[in-house]
Amino acid sequence: MYNSSNNKKERAAIATKNCDDPVINYKNLDYLEKFLTPQGQILSRRRTGFCTQCQKQLKKAIKNARHLALLPFVN
Amino acid sequence: MTQTYEAMVLVSNQVVREDWRKAKSLVAEMLTKHEGSIKTLRRYEERRLAYPIKGNLRATYYLTYFEMPGANVPALRRDMELSESVLRNLVLAVDAVPEEEIAQAALEEDADYTVPEPPADDEPDVEEVSETEDEDIEDEEEVLVGDGDDL
Repeated sequence: MYNSSNNKKERAAIATKNCDDPVINYKNLDYLEKFLTPQGQILSRRRTGFCTQCQKQLKKAIKNARHLALLPFVN
Repeated sequence: MTQTYEAMVLVSNQVVREDWRKAKSLVAEMLTKHEGSIKTLRRYEERRLAYPIKGNLRATYYLTYFEMPGANVPALRRDMELSESVLRNLVLAVDAVPEEEIAQAALEEDADYTVPEPPADDEPDVEEVSETEDEDIEDEEEVLVGDGDDL
């Protein structure tokens, strides 16, 4: 979930760096929602803790889900 | 050269209310028209949309895996976009059909398998109802606390 803390260390701690997590897929909505802000924006790589490839997969999956109205563009 | 594809098709609930199998065959016809060989096709989910599409607040998702010559895919997409029953479509190339998907699609093939009729378009999801109720209760509590402080 999005952490609005101003403390840098606290913010770094929420990074869920684990590329072995469940496969990033546009149907896995509960998982994708973890990487969205309350407004529906995609979290940056710094916040998600993903590697380049996984962040790209995440971006693509969220955009596919938005296209199918599974996730909102803006909350 | 054929390739395996995964497609998620969003079908209007107006069509599904008439007959959900008819809506399913609508998707199947589109695929076969473009020389697609269907591996699995099933009703994925009926849910509230994240945003309204063509005035629809709810719709039904159909998930299918099929093989098709790559050259026919643009024509298939175009066909779906022109259809009034299909609200959205997403076609992706995949390596293979997942085994879970084959099992779930087989369940739906049973004659006894029934699907509840889609709810009214403006009906909220069950989760949303419970959330709003909780909020109301919290609001009431806040009001009570406020009254106590004033006294």
